[in-house]
Amino acid sequence: MATRNAEAHAAANKKYEWGFASDVEQEFAPKGLSEDTVRYISAKKGEPAWMLDWRLKAFAAWQAMELPEWAKLAIPHIDYQDAYYYAEPKQKKTIGSLDELDPEILRVYEKLGIPIEEQKVLAGVEGARKVAVDAVFDSVSVATTFRKELEAAGVIFRSISEAIREYPDLVRKYLGKVVPVRDNFFSALNAAVFSDGTFVYIPEGVRCPMELSTYFRINAENTGQFERTLIVADKGSYVSYLEGCTAPMRDENQLHAAVVELVAMDDAEIKYSTVQNWYPGDENGVGGIFNFVTKRALCEGKNAKVSWTQVETGSAITWKYPSCILKGDGSVGEFYSVAVTNGRQQADTGTKMLHLGKNTRSTIVSKGISAGRSDNTYRGQVLVQPGAENVRNFTQCDSLLLGDQCGAHTVPYIEVKNPSAQIEHEATTSKISEDQLFYARQRGLDQEAAVALIVNGFAKEVLQQLPMEFAVEAQKLLGISLEGSVG
Amino acid sequence: MTLLQLPTPKQEEWRWADMAALRTAAGSAPQPTGIDPASLFLDLEGPRLLFVDGVFDPARSTPGPLQITRWTPETTHPLGQLAQGEGWTLSLAAQQAASCIQVVHLGSGGESHVPAQIVLAEDAVASMVETFAGTGWANRLLQVKLARGARLMRSVRLIQSAGFVSIRDEAEIGEAASLVSVFLAAGGMASRIDGGITVIGKGAFAEMGGALLTRETQKQEAAVVVRHEAIEGSSRQLWRAVAADRSTASLAARVEVARGAQQTDGEQSLRGLLLARTATVNLKPELEIFADDVKCAHGATVGELDQRAMFYLQSRGVPENRAKALLTRAFVADALARIGEDTVREAFAADADAWLDTAL
Repeated sequence: MATRNAEAHAAANKKYEWGFASDVEQEFAPKGLSEDTVRYISAKKGEPAWMLDWRLKAFAAWQAMELPEWAKLAIPHIDYQDAYYYAEPKQKKTIGSLDELDPEILRVYEKLGIPIEEQKVLAGVEGARKVAVDAVFDSVSVATTFRKELEAAGVIFRSISEAIREYPDLVRKYLGKVVPVRDNFFSALNAAVFSDGTFVYIPEGVRCPMELSTYFRINAENTGQFERTLIVADKGSYVSYLEGCTAPMRDENQLHAAVVELVAMDDAEIKYSTVQNWYPGDENGVGGIFNFVTKRALCEGKNAKVSWTQVETGSAITWKYPSCILKGDGSVGEFYSVAVTNGRQQADTGTKMLHLGKNTRSTIVSKGISAGRSDNTYRGQVLVQPGAENVRNFTQCDSLLLGDQCGAHTVPYIEVKNPSAQIEHEATTSKISEDQLFYARQRGLDQEAAVALIVNGFAKEVLQQLPMEFAVEAQKLLGISLEGSVG
Repeated sequence: MTLLQLPTPKQEEWRWADMAALRTAAGSAPQPTGIDPASLFLDLEGPRLLFVDGVFDPARSTPGPLQITRWTPETTHPLGQLAQGEGWTLSLAAQQAASCIQVVHLGSGGESHVPAQIVLAEDAVASMVETFAGTGWANRLLQVKLARGARLMRSVRLIQSAGFVSIRDEAEIGEAASLVSVFLAAGGMASRIDGGITVIGKGAFAEMGGALLTRETQKQEAAVVVRHEAIEGSSRQLWRAVAADRSTASLAARVEVARGAQQTDGEQSLRGLLLARTATVNLKPELEIFADDVKCAHGATVGELDQRAMFYLQSRGVPENRAKALLTRAFVADALARIGEDTVREAFAADADAWLDTAL
């Protein structure tokens, strides 16, 4: 029995490979959240007065707001005073090159398979595919690669605190434009205490020469991570942006409340891909990250396009609705999502497509996979305003249940105020059929490989939207997340 | 009264509800309606009940097996709770039948509340038609209990010229029992049709559906939850919404499958038709599933009349308005097809036609 337990334990640990913590020397702001914390963070970042002002207003607004309760989530009480809001890896003041970076941090990213160093080497090799990486460690951006090459193309790729200092006008113009400070409880909290994040600006007519990527890592105990991402694609530009996240295994819950804002002007296109793999807690629901994220894109110009692709496998609780405001005539919004829940995970995720402009189109493909004792909800809204002529929307939500102790839910809202709109919504719920399993087993696959194969097939429509490197990682993640859930 | 405790659109389940219309209707002063209650009964044999402003009218009723009593029903529904006082009950012993029961509610203004109850023992069968006419706020609660093999067919039409009708149906359906309810809202009032149906017996069948026709600044809404707690149950929710002028029609339907309710077959079809640029249709087809061996599917669409069908009809000499009416009628007919009794179905179709004549 004891051996079996040990084996089981080993298997459970194997499930989350990124659960290590690293001993990086860190500097914390005192625990708790008050106006002083906000001032401390702002001062630490050397922010201009308007930024501090903005934060303080957000903090005041947040204090008057209440936690939203409409989602199908059981959120335990969160003590906002019992967490650190700022943790910074101690490092030399300025980094000239990656060599000067704390080797411990470098090791972390190596373990994660984030090729900061490797990319530098590869840069000299002809024909190698390049990905520029901004790595955010707890609250602070520690490394941004390929800066020079991007600058040559006119692309600004900075941590947001640098951008606030270096491009204050640009940041000020767009910050909080898509997700206003008072939008919701977590966006207000984020606006008050966000410590870092990424800023991207693609100038007119530029096709960003490489994929941009940010890797988020929560390391310190008792910290919340609040990052802010702002991407502005000017007329006719294109950018593909990837985001990945992991955290160590800890017994207490940690809060991650990020805000992502995208702005696409005339004919611009932003492709935003996420592989979310925060620590989900153990099988009994102890620990794990609360992932409460507000992501929204504004298609400001004509024929702008924003495409969200997400693979959600981690987090104890996910509360996340990447949305598109389709304001420009002819603009296009897309949402492709695979959400996997296992153990005691809860996910309430989906999208909003707000059609304001004429001839706007949106596509929603959501695949929910529930296993163990988890709950997986798709919650979405398609809204067509009176002035939006010839709107087209297609929504497909499929749920797959593995086991009889989990739940799959679909909550779509469809609100149409223009008769020329064509709105279609389809949803199905199913399980893996015995026939499918039998067929795969008969061909020599074991139970787990068979399930992984079928699940990957179920999620294929979404996975093929991901850039290649990410698709491979995502496919692997799906298999790992569902290990031990069948048979 | 208790208007202060009414739900508000801030509550998720009530976000499309027109509480302002309800308050206005509740506060409206009684005025003669000029409607002869006798004209509201269909030409069918069976017990008849007439409620005028929520008060039973024994002179013009023939209750048969139905009883008139006063009671306070147990419910947690915010509007259903208000439906207490004088109401009617029907309880049938095993293998008994009662059809076709007609209940007419005539309102002249102000608010009226009537509770009702139907209890059918094993293999009992009943059918009923309920009609709402006049004006004011008519608030009704019906609680249904069906034992093994019992069957109830319920058709409800809302043809009040103004005011507000709120209906709350709560049903428990036993083994192999069947409940079919069809609603038609084709009047000038605002409405909220609210259903909470629980399938508690193996192999039971539940259907709740209908059509909401709205025009001018009307807001009508149906919010139905069918909960499967037993195995092998099936349910159908087939709703059609037609919105003209500046009106809003909203449909929220949910299928819940409890843990262990395997082999459930749940189907939802919500479709909206917009007849004007200023009209709104809201749909919310929801699934909440905790069992893995189930078949649950839903479809939802919103759009305008098929331009090709319009062109075809016009090319055959049908005038535009007539073509619109024909296609809209066909759109609504789906939802009324489930009414078993010919007389009732035809009466409902006639009400829908009358509405189309005014709206188009």
